[in-house]
Amino acid sequence: MSEHSNNTMVELIKVSKTYHPNIQALSGVSISIRSGEMVFITGRSGAGKTTFLKLLCKMELPTRGLVEIDGLDIRKMRGNNLSYLRQQIGVAYQDFKLLTDRTVSENISIAMEVSYRKPQIIRKRVKALLEELDLSDKHNSMTGDLSRGEQQRVTLARAVANSPKLILVDEPTGNLDATTTARVMEMLIGLNNSGATVLIATHDHTIYRDVEHRLLELRGGQMHQLRDGVMQ
Amino acid sequence: MRFIFAVLRQVFKNFRQTWLSQLMTLLTVSLSVFIFAFFYLVYINMLSIGDKLGYDLRLIVYLEEEPIPELQEQLRRKILAFDEVEEIYFVSRQEALERFKVQLGEDQDVLQDMPEDFLPPSIEVVPLKNLRSLNQVKLFSEYLSKLPGTIKVQYGQDWIERFYYFTRLVSIIVVLSAGLLILTSVFMVSYKIRLTIIGRKAELELMKLVGATNSYIRTPFFIEGILQGLLGSTLGLVALFGLFYWIKIKFSGPGILNIFEFSFFEPPIIVMISIVSILLCLTGSYSSMRKYLRT
Repeated sequence: MSEHSNNTMVELIKVSKTYHPNIQALSGVSISIRSGEMVFITGRSGAGKTTFLKLLCKMELPTRGLVEIDGLDIRKMRGNNLSYLRQQIGVAYQDFKLLTDRTVSENISIAMEVSYRKPQIIRKRVKALLEELDLSDKHNSMTGDLSRGEQQRVTLARAVANSPKLILVDEPTGNLDATTTARVMEMLIGLNNSGATVLIATHDHTIYRDVEHRLLELRGGQMHQLRDGVMQ
Repeated sequence: MRFIFAVLRQVFKNFRQTWLSQLMTLLTVSLSVFIFAFFYLVYINMLSIGDKLGYDLRLIVYLEEEPIPELQEQLRRKILAFDEVEEIYFVSRQEALERFKVQLGEDQDVLQDMPEDFLPPSIEVVPLKNLRSLNQVKLFSEYLSKLPGTIKVQYGQDWIERFYYFTRLVSIIVVLSAGLLILTSVFMVSYKIRLTIIGRKAELELMKLVGATNSYIRTPFFIEGILQGLLGSTLGLVALFGLFYWIKIKFSGPGILNIFEFSFFEPPIIVMISIVSILLCLTGSYSSMRKYLRT
């Protein structure tokens, strides 16, 4: 990623997104997120949280406005440039996007394989991540055989496996118990402390209640800041 | 270098996951190469037989009367006007009788009461020693029979015509089997890869989302195409060589097959068949991948 002059990782200026036929998901959203920041985005179901995250990794294109990641206009990113950008963005999708007929380790490895990491490094990293997320015994299990909570953790492991600079997490704790939620948040905070920019879309207030990070709310397609954050 | 290793790991993984369909495609390609190469080998050997038979081929044009030197020159020019020939030789009545006597050997007494000019003079025309002129012999003979003063033209009509039609038939089969090779290699590989893409759609989509480059997605399929072509042609040609060798051993000894020496493909032809097969399979994978990456 390029060295952006003012260390802004995510920049949105007057971004709107309308789905066919005329569903307004986002309306004139403008926001800057600094490099190394951790931000919680909350809002009711259908408020546009997932759309917001999808715009940042070019899974969707804005109907209007500018989206920049580390100073690069996402609309202009194509081919290999887009691929290299995506290698720097880890996404934990709400619908998991797991390959259910593949093992847990294969699902996590895929993010590192596309960056041409050596197999021994991949194996080591997968093992470490599974230990961190309490999934060591699931290494060779098919992801289709796992519980929702376990699948959610595998998705998260895959998102962070490549040590990305920007981590987008969509509802990370929806299917987790309190202990596992704490474990997942501990990992995300650890990654943020190591310098990664982390954006978490959630409606679970328990995960942002006790932290001092910036809190945004999507309401009526617009972004509202509920709490100013403290950079760790 | 890391890219190459990463891609090779993908290829290995693909083979492991879809080995059965890979094997079926490989066998289909091998069989097509085998069928095409078999008829091509027959055709090549027929050309070679044609060359050898051409050495003994001559047309004998029987004339009404002995041509004077001036007429001989005119006839020579007329013959050469049709096509180039290896040799034109005028046989006088006297020489024809001498040859006949030699052929009769001890029985030449039977000719004692015969007049010395009872055999007609003739022209022996030896065509060029290649199949093109062999195939043209019929036309040539018709042309010669229309020359002024010609009684009759003789050559091995029957076998030449049969040989000519047979080579025509084999050449048609060669073209058809080449079509079969193209269809199976391009379409089988293309459809096989398309099925693989459909079967692995979710994985390929995910790979794109986590940052796989188009080359990383595409190259394993290209390598797969190259390997299908290379292994398919190798298997097909090895099987053909086995059959060729078996026929050679089995039918060795006195027999029709021993009159001519059959030979296998020269190395440049083997290389050419392999390269064409690889290119066809590569075209199959390219067309599928292009469609996928475009959508």
